Amino acid sequence: MMSCQSFRANAESREPEVLEHLRKCDACLEYAVSVDPDHFFRAIGGEELEPPGGVDAFTADVMAQVRLRQAEGSVARRFLIAPRRLAAAAVIVVAIGAGALVYERNDQNVGPTLSRSAPAESRRHVITATKPIVETYQSQGATIVEIPSQGSNDASVVMIFDDSLPADL
Amino acid sequence: MAAELRLMIPTNESVEPDDRQLVRTIRSGDPDAFEQLVRRKTSKVYSLCYRIIGNAEDAKDISQLVFIKLWENLEKYDPAYAFDTWLYRIVTNVAIDFMRNKQSRENAVNSNLRLVKTSTDAEQGVVVQRKEIENVFNTVSDVLSPKQKTIFVMSEMDDLRSSEIAKILGCRESTVRNHLFNARKLMQQQLKKRFPEYSRLWEERS
Repeated sequence: MMSCQSFRANAESREPEVLEHLRKCDACLEYAVSVDPDHFFRAIGGEELEPPGGVDAFTADVMAQVRLRQAEGSVARRFLIAPRRLAAAAVIVVAIGAGALVYERNDQNVGPTLSRSAPAESRRHVITATKPIVETYQSQGATIVEIPSQGSNDASVVMIFDDSLPADL
Repeated sequence: MAAELRLMIPTNESVEPDDRQLVRTIRSGDPDAFEQLVRRKTSKVYSLCYRIIGNAEDAKDISQLVFIKLWENLEKYDPAYAFDTWLYRIVTNVAIDFMRNKQSRENAVNSNLRLVKTSTDAEQGVVVQRKEIENVFNTVSDVLSPKQKTIFVMSEMDDLRSSEIAKILGCRESTVRNHLFNARKLMQQQLKKRFPEYSRLWEERS
């Protein structure tokens, strides 16, 4: 530390040695403040203080907090992994659903009046139902053949051969 | 031979890693290095917090919060800059936030007695005077804004230059000087009102 004489010669300076003397030498404090009143508050600075309980206890408290946060962080990371898996599963489900929808739409384009699950028989029935139904028939050059039925439950089949009939009847 | 021996025997300087080296070690996952950093910086951080906040218990809590923030944000530290500048930036941000959020100024006036140095009988008169200065500071700094007080403490008690304070706070040097000027003016007005015996020091000089 500089001498009191040197200090008093440089009391207005803010050099570290001058401030160190100001903060440690009680004899020069009043003189310093009379030379530069701003030294009044500077006189209480400089010294490094210790927290209540000391540095060891303080450091232990901080490290305990850090470890606690580390543990919380690892738990949070685990929770973070689970949603990622869930999201991946959701993406797969959505993809499958979208694929099924596209497939169904394509299928509907083939026969718009039919449902995909309709049995083949009903599909055939509907197609024939669009044709005109012939209840009576009169023609000079037609040949009508009726196939004999096996019983009352059996459908009766009648075949008409006529060159004047349209081809799609 | 002597030179060879000197190279083999580690000096204190080589044993103690500097702040940047410590940060590198912490980043590589060594918790002991962080403990070493906390131990090294505790007094510096606590002193600044105490002088800004003016209350020992609050200053301790804020200092702990500073180190936790430091640990959480260590990845953001750029070793191109001085570690203390970055650390002081965290301290000032946390302390200013605390001062703004919690109006603890009433507590600040009477809570500083615990930290005053104990003294021998021969020193009694002057020690009382230093204690008195601390009390006066805590009373008159009450009128300062958190930022003004932080700048005043860093300049007058931590002996930082305006350029260093500007770097810490991320503002211009002229802003720092402006805050300092206003802080001194406000504190002199308060001294005149509450401690006229001390305000005479400034009046005599002007």
